[in-house]
Amino acid sequence: MNYDCLIIGGGISGLTCGIRCQSAGLSTAILSAGMSALHFSSGSIDLIGYDRARRIVHSPFEYLKEFTGAMPDHPYAHCGVDTVREALVFLRDTLKAEELEIYDNGERNHFHVTGMGTLKPTYFSQRSVFNDSIRQAFERRAKIAVLNFEGYRDFYPELAISNLLKNELFKNVEIVTGRLVFPDYGDPEKNPFEYRSIDIARIFDTIQYLDEIAEQIKREAGDAEFVAMPAFIGINNYKKHHQILQMLTGKLIYEIPTLPPSILGMRLDDALKSRFADLGGVLIAGDKVMGGDFLDGVLDHVHTQNYGTTRLRARAFVLSTGSFFSGGLVSDSGGMREPVLNLRMSATSPRNTWYSPQFLDRKGHPFFEFGVETTGKLNPFDAEGKVIENMFCTGAILAHYNPIGEGSGGGVAVSTGYYAANQIIKACGK
Amino acid sequence: MIDLENISFDHCIKCTVCTIYCPVARVTHHFPGPKQCGPDTERLRIKNPELLDDSLRYCTNCKRCEIACPSNVKIADIIQSSKWKYFKKKFRIRDYFLSHTDLIGNTAVKYSGIMNFFTALSPVKFFLDQVLLIPSKRIFPKYARGTFRKWFKKFARKKQSAFGTHVVYFHGCFVNYNEHGLGKDLVSVMNAMNIGVTIPRERCCGVPLIANGYIEKARKNARFNINALRKTIEDPGTRIVTTSSSCAFALKYEYANLLEMDNSSIFNNLNYITRYIYDQFQAGNVPPMKPVTIRAAYHSPCHLERMGGVIYTIDVLRRVPGLDLQILHSECCGIAGTYGFKKEYYDVSQKVGSALFKRIEKARPDFVITDCETCKWQIEMSTPYKVLHPVSILARAFEK
Repeated sequence: MNYDCLIIGGGISGLTCGIRCQSAGLSTAILSAGMSALHFSSGSIDLIGYDRARRIVHSPFEYLKEFTGAMPDHPYAHCGVDTVREALVFLRDTLKAEELEIYDNGERNHFHVTGMGTLKPTYFSQRSVFNDSIRQAFERRAKIAVLNFEGYRDFYPELAISNLLKNELFKNVEIVTGRLVFPDYGDPEKNPFEYRSIDIARIFDTIQYLDEIAEQIKREAGDAEFVAMPAFIGINNYKKHHQILQMLTGKLIYEIPTLPPSILGMRLDDALKSRFADLGGVLIAGDKVMGGDFLDGVLDHVHTQNYGTTRLRARAFVLSTGSFFSGGLVSDSGGMREPVLNLRMSATSPRNTWYSPQFLDRKGHPFFEFGVETTGKLNPFDAEGKVIENMFCTGAILAHYNPIGEGSGGGVAVSTGYYAANQIIKACGK
Repeated sequence: MIDLENISFDHCIKCTVCTIYCPVARVTHHFPGPKQCGPDTERLRIKNPELLDDSLRYCTNCKRCEIACPSNVKIADIIQSSKWKYFKKKFRIRDYFLSHTDLIGNTAVKYSGIMNFFTALSPVKFFLDQVLLIPSKRIFPKYARGTFRKWFKKFARKKQSAFGTHVVYFHGCFVNYNEHGLGKDLVSVMNAMNIGVTIPRERCCGVPLIANGYIEKARKNARFNINALRKTIEDPGTRIVTTSSSCAFALKYEYANLLEMDNSSIFNNLNYITRYIYDQFQAGNVPPMKPVTIRAAYHSPCHLERMGGVIYTIDVLRRVPGLDLQILHSECCGIAGTYGFKKEYYDVSQKVGSALFKRIEKARPDFVITDCETCKWQIEMSTPYKVLHPVSILARAFEK
């Protein structure tokens, strides 16, 4: 197999890179081992939410100018602020082509609510999480109804509300709760307390139930103008059904991201994969890269579990396999390494300093900032320290940034994927 | 004692991603999904087999959960092996009939005219539906007259010695009892590439036996096939091919992972046919092709997806001049071997496939192309289109 560009990793970074390369006319393949972190995500794209003192950032682009100056090794510094901006526009246009509209707050961050009822600054959100009407309703402190679906175990409205009310921004806002009951799910013997977000999303995806659900929303929400519920208003028909529900109820319907599987994240995953396939890209799912071989100083091919002796060749390779959770990086008692090609890692400290004593530390853990070391062009170094010119690392595998502490995971993934694609397109003479 | 090697369910982080991509959970709430039926409840069954839940039977073993899993849990294998470990063995004539393809096939080909005539009669269909619980709406594949092996011995075998290189062809039950045409196409394609064909001694690969719980019989067949195939590859360069993606999947993966048999002696030599043809093409062995000017929609079977074989089929087909190929979104057709032949699962099976059928009808092709015989039956029954095998497309292109 022979491609212009072979991307290892099918998450948001790999997909952004793949779509950009394929749309520039490069033959592109993406290899993925299992579904990506989008299924665990909020479905909003964070750019940079917290500054180095962990205060909330309101104008991310303004802040990035000073931030990248002070942090020359940060992935944003490698990309440059202009490329970051271009990458986000590219992502928005790509999603729009798949009829998934993304909203922002001018050049400013906005907040999304978490399942715990805390607020997180973010940059791009789906229509049911941020738009102008939502902002206005919030500014006039409209009454909110937080509704849950009976039998859904992954969201507790009372907990979310008690946390929200602690927040200065929700002072004097009236919040009530209510519940929706599924009218008819065939077999009454089915235990209703087994619902996961995906089961309920499928109910919302089916048009026949919408009238009844709308009636229940109206009844439960009473005179609240704002209805918040866990994110399960459909996947395939989300856009249409969200609009229908708002029309039928006359209320603003807001989605709160849930525990996995994240319906908001899946909408992004579906849209990006569909775009990549429509452009003619090849997605090889369920396979794992085992290693690769070099020829004349550049990476010549990789081999995988399923393809055995068949070599997957490309002019350029992108490694966007993520961090420890997805296996892009591995650790053992001796240290950390990148398992595919044993690329050089950033300097790592002794094991007992990898993590902070608190699991949910606001600053994140020190190991978040460990990763693969690259040049300013995102080229990694091989085990001997030589630059691999036809290879690029993007997304969570990169060192020198803290996706949790900075609130920058999505933005770095998209920007570095896009930046790598630009260089590959140029190198291939397109 | 818990088998310590069988604890891959402990890698499950409960993310439920598998359930999203399960084609059965999508269409029926009777199936709580691979996560719950596999890793969640396996730990309970290990402690007490009485905690077995009947909903496990809805799993079609399509393996899409394993492709989706970010934590490398062998979800479908867990469900499949639990089915035969814990369900009480009950003799069912229907399941015996559906799974013993060699026995039934050998008899049927002797009386194929009568068989095909009778299985299409409505009173017979009514009987099958009411008594054997084989849905009357299901159309049976036609039996051929005689076996492919007989045809091969009589008409093809002699000519094969004229070639310097040989490939071992595991033809499988479908070619032997139903569709000689595909076997003949394989021989002509190989010969056109200057490769001779030999056929090994073989028995049913075991896919339908595994699905219906005849595990000892499946192991027996596996042992037979491994031994017979090993003898054919004493010259280490020799390759074994199949034209059925599910046969290849069973011989390579189900034998080792589910039946716990050692198939390492044949593993590297054995592939689904398009991988072999791809390698030949790469090495420069590309006979002249004439245009095959048809519009085709390609459907990728679940088991070929799991093996990673789809890109070879697509690559090989893309080299055929004139072929206007549309790749359909990867989806399960729903038949899952013998699953769709059972009355209790017929509706689920058709519902699973409905998304694919709609896509095919939207594509309006001249033909559908797929690698798997049961996908072919399902698509031919549920859409107005005829289904061709990639090898048959090549046979047309190589025709002199």
